[in-house]
Amino acid sequence: MTRELRRQFDLLRLITVKEITLKYKRTYLGILWSLLNPVLSTMIFYIAFRIFMRIRVENYTLFLVSAMFPWTAFSAASSLSASSLINNVSLIKKIRFPRQMLVISVVIAQLVNFLFSIPVICVVVLLYDLTPGLSWIAGIPILVVVQFTLTLGFCLALSMVNAYFRDMEYIIGIFLNMLFWLTPIIYPVSTVPERYRAYMYINPLTSLMSSWRELFMRNRIEWRGIGLSFAVSLGVLCCGMLIFQTLGRRIDEVL
Amino acid sequence: MTEPAIEVTEVWKKFPMTRNHPGFKEFIVNLPRFAGRNGKTGFFALKGVNLLVKKGECVGIVGRNGAGKSTLLSLVLGTLRPTAGRVRVTKKITPLLELGAGFHPDLTGRENVFINGVLLGLTMRETAMRMDAIEEFAEMKEFMDMPVRTYSSGMYMRLAFSVAIHAEPVILLIDEILSVGDRSFQKKSKDALLTLIRQGVTTLFVSHNGQSVKEICDRVVWLDHGEVAGDGMPDDILARYDSSSS
Repeated sequence: MTRELRRQFDLLRLITVKEITLKYKRTYLGILWSLLNPVLSTMIFYIAFRIFMRIRVENYTLFLVSAMFPWTAFSAASSLSASSLINNVSLIKKIRFPRQMLVISVVIAQLVNFLFSIPVICVVVLLYDLTPGLSWIAGIPILVVVQFTLTLGFCLALSMVNAYFRDMEYIIGIFLNMLFWLTPIIYPVSTVPERYRAYMYINPLTSLMSSWRELFMRNRIEWRGIGLSFAVSLGVLCCGMLIFQTLGRRIDEVL
Repeated sequence: MTEPAIEVTEVWKKFPMTRNHPGFKEFIVNLPRFAGRNGKTGFFALKGVNLLVKKGECVGIVGRNGAGKSTLLSLVLGTLRPTAGRVRVTKKITPLLELGAGFHPDLTGRENVFINGVLLGLTMRETAMRMDAIEEFAEMKEFMDMPVRTYSSGMYMRLAFSVAIHAEPVILLIDEILSVGDRSFQKKSKDALLTLIRQGVTTLFVSHNGQSVKEICDRVVWLDHGEVAGDGMPDDILARYDSSSS
């Protein structure tokens, strides 16, 4: 590894660690929150959907968290990265370094955060008398890569567009809300009327979230869905990089 | 003839004239006029600037507020792109444009030194190896593991300055920072810079202070309204600059 490559790697590592640890820096529980958060949300879901609102989907709490946690990683990364360039004006103006790193670190940090929720999902699986399979060992890294690709592409475009057009930060809030309901997270695809179902798959998150769910609930690696969603994700990443590159040339003037 | 370290050829830089954003109502009313606004209005910060800095040279840049000094530094650094013309830089640059850019208040001094060191061109290992020297120079051994937000502004600047000069600069860009800390640290920081410059670090030094330019630089460029108004020996140029501004 050349020295310059080594340095770039160090830089990414440092700002990613900063991104992960910084938000807990002044709390008492620190990084433990990353574990506590999914535990508490799961308990709330369990109580809400077991006692107050009975839903006739098998193992609903598991059904819910198996897609909800990956979704949270996506949506949190999106809303945080919208301001990732704007919040680092002094760095961008005064020091020369690959600016993508600011966005990459946000995406990685949220995925790491998501990894903390996997033990929680594991416990829920056991509570429903199911067993986590060996397929998780292969499935989790594969799906993490797909999700990383998709999220990064989206976030690169978003962060750059928001530097020029600050209304984006508010639009994205609404957009994520819409995307949440358009993606089968709290409902299965089978509840969608047949004639709309095909359109659901235009959204790359549909097959991605379904693949996570298949993996966690049935230990199955859904190759077709993963392949489809990876192909779209690569497309999104290319677009994102292109937008970031093109608009990035004049970013210094608008920040 | 030594090779040039910095080559600025016929560089123009235009900034869009940004007013604060018009509200939605004005935007709709004026829609036709906004269509082509990027191409038309603008302000030229630099108008055809040429500058050749040889390896090991220390060039001072003087000029009034708004003359384009900082723009020139940013172009050489590469955070800005020229509208027209070409900027070529052969070596790694360590900017001292704004000390402590990227310092985060909630991180400790040591954590910030790591991030800053790597941003300025060191690897993590190299930063770790220089940690003692950095601490020592900044005179803040016992505060390194405290969050930077608890530092006094003097401590903050000392630490930032210390990282920067330990980052093994090959080209140094300095934007008016010799007034770091108390008088004894000011002397120390000036000495450290002089040592670097004598070792052959190429330097661009922007300052309003004619005295410190005279002490450090062996050539001065005078920028006026985005154009080079003079380029030569410090004494000549500074005398002309002083007489023009009074």
